Amino acid sequence: MVDLIKKNVKSLQESLFSSIGSSVLTIATTYLVINFFRGMLGFALTSDKDWLAVLNNMQLYMVQAYPEEDFIRVWLSVGLTFVLAGLSIGIWRSEERVKSSQVFNSFFKGGLGVLFFTIIAPTNASFMGNDGSVITEEVFSMDSRLGILIPVVVFCVIFFSIRFINVKFTVNSSDMVFFYLFIPVALLWFVKLPTIQLDQNNERIIPDPIMPIASSTKIPWTVIFVSFLVSYFIGMYLKNIKSIKSIMSLSWFLLPLLIFSWIFKKPQIDMSLVLGSDLPIFGVFLLWGFLVITFVNNSIFKKYYSTYLGVTFLLTLAGVFSGLPMLAKTCLLLITLFSVVVPAVSTSSQGKRSLLIVWAVALVTLTFLLRGGASDTGIVVPGSSIFGGFSLTWLLAIFGTYVSFPLGVLLALGRNSKLPIIRIVCTGIIELTRSVPYITWLFFASVTLAVFLPAGVEFNLIVRVLMVTAFFSGAYFAENIRGGLQSIPKGQYEAADAIGMSPFQKISLIIMPQALRAVIPTLVSSAITAFKDSSLVTIIGLFDFLTIGKTVIGNQSIPVNFVGHDRENLIFVAIVYWIFTFTLSRRSMKVEKKLGLGER
Amino acid sequence: MSIIQTKDVKKWFGDFQALKGISMDVAEGEVLVVCGPSGSGKSTFIRCINRLEQHQEGQIIVDGIELTNDLKNIEAIRSEVGMVFQSFNLFPHLTVMQNITLAQIWVRKKNRAESEEKAMELLERVGIPEQAQKFPGQLSGGQQQRVAIARALAMEPKIMLFDEPTSALDPEMIKEVLDVMKELAKSGMTMIVVTHEMGFAKEVADRVMLFDEGMLVEENTPEEFFNNPKSDRTKLFLSQIL
Repeated sequence: MVDLIKKNVKSLQESLFSSIGSSVLTIATTYLVINFFRGMLGFALTSDKDWLAVLNNMQLYMVQAYPEEDFIRVWLSVGLTFVLAGLSIGIWRSEERVKSSQVFNSFFKGGLGVLFFTIIAPTNASFMGNDGSVITEEVFSMDSRLGILIPVVVFCVIFFSIRFINVKFTVNSSDMVFFYLFIPVALLWFVKLPTIQLDQNNERIIPDPIMPIASSTKIPWTVIFVSFLVSYFIGMYLKNIKSIKSIMSLSWFLLPLLIFSWIFKKPQIDMSLVLGSDLPIFGVFLLWGFLVITFVNNSIFKKYYSTYLGVTFLLTLAGVFSGLPMLAKTCLLLITLFSVVVPAVSTSSQGKRSLLIVWAVALVTLTFLLRGGASDTGIVVPGSSIFGGFSLTWLLAIFGTYVSFPLGVLLALGRNSKLPIIRIVCTGIIELTRSVPYITWLFFASVTLAVFLPAGVEFNLIVRVLMVTAFFSGAYFAENIRGGLQSIPKGQYEAADAIGMSPFQKISLIIMPQALRAVIPTLVSSAITAFKDSSLVTIIGLFDFLTIGKTVIGNQSIPVNFVGHDRENLIFVAIVYWIFTFTLSRRSMKVEKKLGLGER
Repeated sequence: MSIIQTKDVKKWFGDFQALKGISMDVAEGEVLVVCGPSGSGKSTFIRCINRLEQHQEGQIIVDGIELTNDLKNIEAIRSEVGMVFQSFNLFPHLTVMQNITLAQIWVRKKNRAESEEKAMELLERVGIPEQAQKFPGQLSGGQQQRVAIARALAMEPKIMLFDEPTSALDPEMIKEVLDVMKELAKSGMTMIVVTHEMGFAKEVADRVMLFDEGMLVEENTPEEFFNNPKSDRTKLFLSQIL
């Protein structure tokens, strides 16, 4: 242990104080860093800051004005996401083991961080009073400093020394996720914080009474945590089922759609529409798909297959610009894609049967989701959409990426196509969308888009925003992916050709995997940009996460006056954005490392 | 009966005429070595045989199917003709095993177990069964080229085309690749080999051809070709490389 300390001191000496210049730099930087954090802490702790403006408004932050009697729907969305996550972690459970010393070390480092802030926190801090005078006050008394310092030092010493005791057990790195999630859920039951209470005259009781936090969320979170854990074990049990991984990926794709069209929306179903329009459309397209599958090997049909494809494509084009119901249009698009794919996959009679099942399931899912999405909502939020706050930001980010990423892939391929029409159209779309500011597109979505759509077709504002977002970030994705495509040597195309692969197989199995891998860093930074840019929707009257903090809470005067407390809220919003983007970039680095395995 | 037949094949790259009317026949089981200076059109010619390059005039008939713009014909011919490239062109994102099984699974529609068995068999044939789970980037050049040969053989082709398979290799690795090719030739595979390895040509070729400036200058048995060449161009070529 003494050796270890000596070694550490020596390496510190070498890296920080090797010469006079570096010593000066070290000291100057340390001084700046300490002062920066002192200033921040002083700012956060002065009495003119009311952090309850953040804490008290969590509900507003998360779902804005979503009615309380339907909160079960919000919890259901969160719960379903966690159940899927649990299943996925179970199915993709890594065999990587984490050493106990690594875990203890991370606790030790966390303790050191708290220690650092406790030591440097200023005793006195000043702020500008209402009359413009500078008020200095004690923000961090010696008593409370010691009250934090002593337990933290004990904590650090325990976890530092525990590494040297011979405990050499290892933990599965997937299991650790549950441990880390268990801590905040358990804390919900025990931690008490100042809470806003009103007396009979609707006046705030000062000082704020200390109460258990999150009284309304601890039971749902506990239930979610338990189902997360249970689904993890189920996932491990399901691990060996064939094609479970593709089912899971598909479920992840469908989950946001389900949340969007059914769970959050509480659709009011008009049964006459379901029976009169949905069922017949469903039947027609099921039959159509069945016929295609049945006759795909028939020699006469084969001969005219390209004619059939052309006719279907024209029908789809005509259908999209006609007054057909949304379901019929989408089904037309789907049958075109399906007809293109069928000859490539269907051979044996067994293959045909499973293909028919896939087609039927796809149609059922589509009908179900579209009926939910197209029906009136049973949720009434006065003066705005049912999505608001973090749920809106999240929706825009997830949907923006889900739709724009495949779109980007298609546009990139189209721009590289040999067929001039496809190339010109794709280049046109990319250049047009990229050359206009995102805000302009948002105004386009809110004001002008309706003019371009066929008569009688109306979309919700959020759907319109999603449409322009998909194209906007899709164009950026497309250019990134095109960069990746250009990095693939010609020999790869030739090798794939030489072993007899079809163009579709060549792109999806050989070219795309390599191209995407080459551009993961830029793709992630595009996704992060899309996530942050979603806050721009505020200018067309949607209440995203940032708007809630800056505008809504900053002007809140009933039941408690929070006017002017927007700085606290902005800091909170910034931290939340940072947590999400930072997690995303760390994950992408891990993925990169994992995928880079074969390349040298 | 000839398995490959070409009649007066011509090809232009822009204004430059790369092939000026090549006519030849390859019989089943024959090993044909094509040599010539760089830019003589020999690579272009064998790349025309599986449509990596498109010829503009003349006829190419492979195994009774004529190469035209019809995609069905092209795919049929490509699955009969294996090709090995100068720069290996293995798929770097897939393991050696996946490289070899990919086409069997997706083009031949075999199941995974069957194709993995076939892949192991081929890896043993080329002498590197222990490398199956590695990525191409972790192998030496000679090993990569042998994997490339195994990948082409996995499609059970009737014809194998080799486009300068040893030109990108260290001298020490050339031998291990040539050994595999010799073994393949002895097993009765129809092969067209573009190479500068004259030792290989002497030992296993049934016929040797010399290309120059897009024309077939000489076509002869190896003994005649090396000892008693007909044309002056061949004599010049041989004097420079031997």
